[in-house]
Amino acid sequence: MGHYLVRRTLQAVPLLIAISAIIFVMLQMTPGGPLATGEGGGRSARVTAEDLQRLRNKYGLDDPLYVQYFHWGSDLLRGDWGTSFNTGLPVLTMIGERLPTTLLVMGLSFLTTLVLAIPIGILAAVRRYSIFDYLTTTVSFLGIAIPSFWFALMLMFIFSFTLGWLPSVGLSDPRVEHSGMAAVIDRAQHLIMPVAVLALTSTASLTRYVRAAMLDVIGQDYVRTAQAKGLAERTVILVHALKNGAIPIVTVLALELPDLFIGAVIVESVFAISGMGRLFIESANLRDYPVLMGVLVITAILVVTFNLIADLLYATLDPRIRFQ
Amino acid sequence: MVHATAAPQAAHEHTNVMDRRLHRRGLLAGTTAAAMLAALRGTGLSASAAAQDAGEPTRGGKAVIALIQEPGQMNPFFNVQSGSFLSTLALDPLFVPDADGNYLPVLAAEVPTLENGGISEDFLTITYKLRDGITWSDGEPFTADDVVFSFEIYKNPESTTALGTAYELIESVTAIDPLTVEVKMSDINPAYLTLWDSEGPVQPKHLFESSAVTQEHPLARLPVGTGPFVFTDWKTGDEITLTRNEKYRDPERPYLDGVTIKITPEKETAIASFIAGEFDTIYFITTGDLPTLSAAQEAGDGIVVALQEGPSHVEWLWLNMSDNGDPGKPHPVLGDPAIREAMDHGIDRQTVIDEVLGGFGYQVGSFIYAGWAAVDIPAATYDPALANSLLDEAGWVMGDDGVRVKDGVRASLRYQTIAGDQTRELYQQVVQQNMKDIGIELVIENVPSNTIFGSWEEGGIFMRGDYDILMSRAGYFVDPASWAKDFTSDQIPSDEFPGGFNRVRYQSEAFDEAVNAAAQTLDQAVRGEAYTTAAQQFAADRPSLPLYSSAWGWTWNERLQGVDTAFWEGMWPSSAGWYVNEG
Repeated sequence: MGHYLVRRTLQAVPLLIAISAIIFVMLQMTPGGPLATGEGGGRSARVTAEDLQRLRNKYGLDDPLYVQYFHWGSDLLRGDWGTSFNTGLPVLTMIGERLPTTLLVMGLSFLTTLVLAIPIGILAAVRRYSIFDYLTTTVSFLGIAIPSFWFALMLMFIFSFTLGWLPSVGLSDPRVEHSGMAAVIDRAQHLIMPVAVLALTSTASLTRYVRAAMLDVIGQDYVRTAQAKGLAERTVILVHALKNGAIPIVTVLALELPDLFIGAVIVESVFAISGMGRLFIESANLRDYPVLMGVLVITAILVVTFNLIADLLYATLDPRIRFQ
Repeated sequence: MVHATAAPQAAHEHTNVMDRRLHRRGLLAGTTAAAMLAALRGTGLSASAAAQDAGEPTRGGKAVIALIQEPGQMNPFFNVQSGSFLSTLALDPLFVPDADGNYLPVLAAEVPTLENGGISEDFLTITYKLRDGITWSDGEPFTADDVVFSFEIYKNPESTTALGTAYELIESVTAIDPLTVEVKMSDINPAYLTLWDSEGPVQPKHLFESSAVTQEHPLARLPVGTGPFVFTDWKTGDEITLTRNEKYRDPERPYLDGVTIKITPEKETAIASFIAGEFDTIYFITTGDLPTLSAAQEAGDGIVVALQEGPSHVEWLWLNMSDNGDPGKPHPVLGDPAIREAMDHGIDRQTVIDEVLGGFGYQVGSFIYAGWAAVDIPAATYDPALANSLLDEAGWVMGDDGVRVKDGVRASLRYQTIAGDQTRELYQQVVQQNMKDIGIELVIENVPSNTIFGSWEEGGIFMRGDYDILMSRAGYFVDPASWAKDFTSDQIPSDEFPGGFNRVRYQSEAFDEAVNAAAQTLDQAVRGEAYTTAAQQFAADRPSLPLYSSAWGWTWNERLQGVDTAFWEGMWPSSAGWYVNEG
């Protein structure tokens, strides 16, 4: 397995290079540029043509594209992710400030999804065509159909502005001390709605997958054999059926993570949470290429890593799959 | 300095640059505006301001400000993004303009005048006396050397400063003694009181290793100043924290322990959260937010909305005085003064304000409408009958299609503004109907911002004079010098002078003379008289028609006390006096 891990990691390197090259070119192809926003927007009136040329030289924006990419790539290998055009801060610092927040929100949403979707999906499969099953199906489709930004605004409207139970924006209240139990409760209150929004869609779709996967397995001979042996229904479902049913679920889960990240872009914008999603939107608006590249590369690494973890999990769940 | 001559669209249309410069209470509250204000306020400002003063200020507590647009740097010396204005919580200007546009000394000991010798006989040397006993928040003394050093940063070609055109006229800055700075100008500089104001505050020399300072410098991001609060931390995208400056010049103040700036990019959310009590104030609100906020105030949600008195952003109808940009040929329709006068009387401004803006606007008639130089000229009365008779007398005969004709020329004009602004499109239709009533046809052809405000080289239609009527907001900050200069005939843009800003191609010897006379002196009395002449000439010639001025204001939670809006920049310069009533 160690050998397999090394080989897969090495394979990921050309993949990431290809991804970064494509992103780099695509970013440069989008209309406007970091200085164009400057001309019309924020830094405006006092910027002269000479100033712009000086900035272009400084950031190497007049170099051919492949030269720019090579500079960026070789700096990255040396651990230098570049400097933001907008804030003047190192990209890695900016990402370092934001990544933990996003991972917290995503992680909690992911856990919520698992805790809700797997039992509900199993129960819906076991009690197929029961009222519970129909109810889950209806709610799942609603969950998949409701746009998350709308759901977020509705939650905010009801729980923050109408009932006044939950804080609407950010992840902490500046008036609450940033330490002790009060801070934990404050943080939890701020997290409820963003996590609920992010978990809704993924729970809804995962419930459907779990139900389908379990139905596939429950009908098979070996499950009937286990039932015929007189094993407790609980054992049959949770030990015998679930283990096989889990294999496709793992694939779906690995694919769910990039979706969660996309969801984070929306949730962070609506709830004014300072995470990677917002960093992405803001730097895209400002054409802050170094930050954009950093965010996208980190995202690519995350996706590739989770795919790898999914592959490793497969083998643990299903001995027929060999590390080759 | 408000509307620099280099980048038209940035200066005139981008709220980014405009917003805070025009935040202020003007002085020209005409009778209509004053009456309307009183009606609008109801129990509003005066009553709540009185309530504010009840109770003694107490120490402690924090204020939370929601910031909509996070800037890249907080030091306005290096950044003109609007959010960096909040650095005024930590940085003091030399002078601050009050609500009427009169400057008060802050870090300076007095305002330089001709009488006190601060301004030389030839107006080219200004002597600034600094206030004694001021220290930076780290305890180092604030001296003339800091002012000199701040100019050296600006002069250093390796620095990336974001200072206004007022600095271009500076020849030298010298420290005469630790509390006296002498500034020599290459030309008369009416903006001498805006040097080292809240947009370009003095930088602490002892904290910089050289005068080459770029925006990557840590002090460009989080500056150090002499103001009531000290920047302590900035979690990008999340919050910026300030704590009480223990070295502040007034030991009693500030009352608050600190201020947290919470970045909340969605404005609708920020306003809703503010009304729900999560924030103490918002930077910044615009006219469009006032109906929501006023309704919340009426509903007893515990917020205060303070409207400024008098006009701020004026929406102008720019009338092209030339035939397709050629100043030698008058516009076939708009070139006739009768047409312009009839239009002025034909527009029902009050309907636009009441029906489209929800009452949050003022009628304006004066070209110099605010600040110390404000000239009180009422807006033209709405009188379609008068407008029609003016046109009849001038020989514009009503045609069969309802459009007047004179010498074979139809009174049909293109009417353009930036596409996509629904409020504007609504009142464009009001104006269009008003003009139809007097036999002038307006054809609405809205276009993207760049098309209108592009430079001469880019072929922007405003610059090139390729339009009939354009509509946009514009104005000036306190002093009208550069604003007035942009309407003199030597500023007409051309191939030889692509940076010219007289885009309506107004040509009036009397106006030119008055504006140039004002530019020859720093004697306020002489200047005021000259600008009165200029404004009267402008109102008589009507090269542009003011449509309305938007109302402007500030809002804060009743929890926050001691807020004073008696400044041009509203509530913000009063932060040292803010306190919270936790009871």
